[in-house]
Amino acid sequence: MHLMNAAETRSILHIDMDAFFAAVEQNDRPELRGQPVLVGGAADKRGVVSTASYEARRFGCRSAMPMARAVQLCPQAIVVQPRMERYVQISRELLALFEQSTPAIEPLSIDEAFLDVTGSIRLLGPSVQIAQQLKQDICQATGLTASVGIAPNKFLAKLASDLDKPSGLTVVAPNNIRGFLDPLPIARLWGAGAKTQSRLNSLGIRTFADLRQLSAGCLEAEFGQTGRKFFDLARGIDDRPVVSDRQAKSISQETTFVQDVADCQHLRAVLLQQTEQVSSRLRHQGFKARTVNLKIRTQDFHTITRRSTLDGPSDSTTDFWAAAASLFERWWSTRPPTGRIRLIGIGVSQFSGAEGCQMRLFGEAEADNARRLDETFDQIQDRFGRSAIARGLLGDEETD
Amino acid sequence: MKVRVNRQELAEALGVVGSVAATRTPKDILKCVLLRAAADHLELEGTDLEISIRFIVSQVEVNKKGVVLVSAEKLSAIVRESNDELLDIETDANHCHVRGAGSHFQIYIRDAKEFPAGASMSGDPDWEIKANVLRHLAERTIFAAARENTRYAINGVLWERKDKQLVMVATDGRRLAKAVGKISGGKDGGPSEVIVPSKAMVLFQRLFTEQDEKIGVKLTESQIVLRSNRATVSVALVEGHFPNYHDVIPKETNKTAQLKVGETLSGIRRAALLTNEESRGVRFAFADAELTLSSRAPQEGEASVKLAVAYKGEALEIGFNPNFLTDVLKVIHDDEVNFELKDANRPGVIKCGDDYLYVVMPVNLS
Repeated sequence: MHLMNAAETRSILHIDMDAFFAAVEQNDRPELRGQPVLVGGAADKRGVVSTASYEARRFGCRSAMPMARAVQLCPQAIVVQPRMERYVQISRELLALFEQSTPAIEPLSIDEAFLDVTGSIRLLGPSVQIAQQLKQDICQATGLTASVGIAPNKFLAKLASDLDKPSGLTVVAPNNIRGFLDPLPIARLWGAGAKTQSRLNSLGIRTFADLRQLSAGCLEAEFGQTGRKFFDLARGIDDRPVVSDRQAKSISQETTFVQDVADCQHLRAVLLQQTEQVSSRLRHQGFKARTVNLKIRTQDFHTITRRSTLDGPSDSTTDFWAAAASLFERWWSTRPPTGRIRLIGIGVSQFSGAEGCQMRLFGEAEADNARRLDETFDQIQDRFGRSAIARGLLGDEETD
Repeated sequence: MKVRVNRQELAEALGVVGSVAATRTPKDILKCVLLRAAADHLELEGTDLEISIRFIVSQVEVNKKGVVLVSAEKLSAIVRESNDELLDIETDANHCHVRGAGSHFQIYIRDAKEFPAGASMSGDPDWEIKANVLRHLAERTIFAAARENTRYAINGVLWERKDKQLVMVATDGRRLAKAVGKISGGKDGGPSEVIVPSKAMVLFQRLFTEQDEKIGVKLTESQIVLRSNRATVSVALVEGHFPNYHDVIPKETNKTAQLKVGETLSGIRRAALLTNEESRGVRFAFADAELTLSSRAPQEGEASVKLAVAYKGEALEIGFNPNFLTDVLKVIHDDEVNFELKDANRPGVIKCGDDYLYVVMPVNLS
């Protein structure tokens, strides 16, 4: 049994921007305000919706929907091309605001993050007050709205932020976890995909209240290790810490494509962009890493991971890209012929601090050049946003 | 196909060929081994598309010639776990049957026509090298090769042919090993410098175990093919440029330590016990007739080991990654080697006769 004692109770915020891409467009272009806006690829190019504004959602438009279908549902919608560089720029501004509340920030994607504000309460006041202040600051700085969930853990906080969108603020009090969870449908269960849900449904489980009736043994028998996790989640128990880049044991980035991709060049471009971001985050923390991990999920949900260990710790984009590209090419050359890819991602791990000062026999000049390139790259990104500069090979960016 | 084969010889052959067959690939065909029964022998083939091997099993009685393609892993396991002296292998349209005294395994077969073409050498070899020379060269270089290629093509061993000599060089950018051996025969033409992937080098060591057997070597722009009596291997070469290694071999040194190989190896191992990821270096303090090895691991402790050495030159303190020195001392079979040095930030050179040289960059201790 999990004992919750007041001193140990954490205050976790999940901050989720409302219809982020669409809201940015509406904010930047007043003529779009109050209009149904669809951000994404053009309908005639088989594009898909990245984000639909709330006005468009009323017509049934959703993200990941083919643009052609969305336009059918809402013919008066205004279709806008995504401007990743702008979104990234705002994402950075948001991160800077979060940092005023706590150093324990775990960015989940461009528009959402977990914040552990447990340690900030004495300084900044109750978590509700911190959340309200943040929402206000976000609005003032960017003109955008965010929905915030406050709870004793990540799982509950993420559920909570989603309950009262847009511009919501939902608090799950430690003594009301059961009341909060019980009526929710098990579709909200973290880690439960369509398959798991239908298995749960067939056991007569529709809500968290139903799920809580099942014993740990029964869930384990049915779902293995994951069953044990479900048992905890049904009781609102989730011990995962908020992990910032600084404390992380690995830094990674992955992209789930809205439509599966089979184009090698496109995949390489996404991978290079991810490698740049990951390397830059690593340098930002003053770390070096020895291991590069490639993750690929195919359309049939088969997940492949490949890793490669560098000869020494590095923080150079060039080194990581050489390893990532070679891992990818090795996999690509032996992939199943029909393979389309659903997700690709890169991570680095096995951190060390300053390099053991092993001198090099050769390549010192090249290493210097690469280092200078990385420094310049980081400076330009810091000043002008992530898409201000990118290495060759990059074409259009993939939208999340 | 119908053959009766010596189980032990087949198990060894499957061990070698199975090590080439790909294990982590979605292409199931590459996880297979091809068996071809000819008039008086059985051939095994495996490939991962980078290395292809053809290996001959001679203790076999062929009743019916033929070809069959089966899972390398399954067949290897069956043959390895059996305890018969002889096994009968026979195929029908869909299965391969492996029978021992009281056992019968029936495994599904795949279409042999789908299997990529195996290793072969067209025409005569360019030159020949004795198996023991090849193994000796490989043993003393492979360990210095980069595990992962970064800027240069150094995840393999450079083979450089100069008249009747073969020079092998491997480096990971921090140390470099160079070994020279004799070759014979020899036609002109063909590339004189190629980079052979490390995985293939390890395979050669395992494959060519006969002491004086001559191994034929043939090179093209993209492939190296080696052939012995029992095996033919073709290997896709590493593409790219190997750094100019001549430049990094120090031309002059002014300090020499004569190291006793076994003693020094043990001393470095002991001193390395108190190093960790953060402080990879062992301090080598050379003074008249004495070498002091010391190390320190933050929050763990310190070590100091003294060795008697013959040393010529001014006293010197220099740091090295201990693994870079134990790696090389492990493959030197002489009793003593010379370690030549110049400065704390200049490379050290280990020399062993005229045919072996190892350059190692120091670790900055300050």
